Amino acid sequence: MSRSSAKKDETSSNANATTLISYLLGGLAFWGGVGWVVDWALGFSGLFLPIGLGVGLVGSIYLIYAQYVRS
Amino acid sequence: MSLFNPTPWVDFGLPLTSGLNKYYLVAVVALIVAAAFWYFTTRKAKVVPGRGQSMAELLVTFIRDQVTRTTMGKKGDKYLPLMVTLFLFIFSMNVMGLIPGLQLPVTSNLAFPAVLALFIFVLWNVVGIREHGAAAHFKARLVPGGVPGWILPVVVPIEALSNFIIRPATHMIRLFATMFAGHLLLALFAAAGFYMFNPTSPMGPLFGAISVGYSGIALIGFLVFTAFELFIMAVQAYVFILLSSIYLGEAMEGAH
Repeated sequence: MSRSSAKKDETSSNANATTLISYLLGGLAFWGGVGWVVDWALGFSGLFLPIGLGVGLVGSIYLIYAQYVRS
Repeated sequence: MSLFNPTPWVDFGLPLTSGLNKYYLVAVVALIVAAAFWYFTTRKAKVVPGRGQSMAELLVTFIRDQVTRTTMGKKGDKYLPLMVTLFLFIFSMNVMGLIPGLQLPVTSNLAFPAVLALFIFVLWNVVGIREHGAAAHFKARLVPGGVPGWILPVVVPIEALSNFIIRPATHMIRLFATMFAGHLLLALFAAAGFYMFNPTSPMGPLFGAISVGYSGIALIGFLVFTAFELFIMAVQAYVFILLSSIYLGEAMEGAH
């Protein structure tokens, strides 16, 4: 059993739910935060925040795709 | 509130500290239990193991085959003692929630999982830096491989936030939240069983009988959830070390 599982680990992906969730949260938090700060600095209310959230979501989904789906 | 904020026995009066309270006592008991397990199971170790020694060996081989070998390969055997110790320590801290008289899972206080997760986070960096050097370790953690250059400004901050802040935070919150919620659930069922028991209800014997029925249901729920909670406690300790090994394995592996 130990031998088969040792073999398996060389090919198994290290993708796990925590990493994926932290990517999604990180994307939303960072770019959403940037959008919110830009809104606050330029005096808009709720213009750049949704844009930032969108960029963050797309960025983190792309990151997950590039690292775990494509490879 | 007193369920998770026991009154301190010794209060140092320092800001943001809780003083010496029940958590510290229970943590020390958990530590003694974990240490005693190893002392009594391995003190007369033989080639043909006895009952206690087989139990200890079973635990070690289980963690080796299911956790360290599957996430780090043969190189991970170096971290096997750490993972076994962490598992047993976290499990005994969790189980303290079910021991009559103590009944407080130490990990339901955020400080304890936070220190353990911080320790793994520091170790993750140390292992990565020692294996690949500081520049390569941080580059592997910040710049994802196989991504075109123009998209890097979007994804590098996400990687940074995800790897250096959110991941250790979720690592710590998972253990804390499950233990907190589990203990709250048990306390709720126990309290319901106690307060609903009202056979001499002023609203008449029918309501008295109904209250006893509800109380019985709550107590059965309490027993069922106690067994379930024991299972969750083992699973959460396992998940904690599994994630720790995944992170360490990733640091050893370097770039994707």
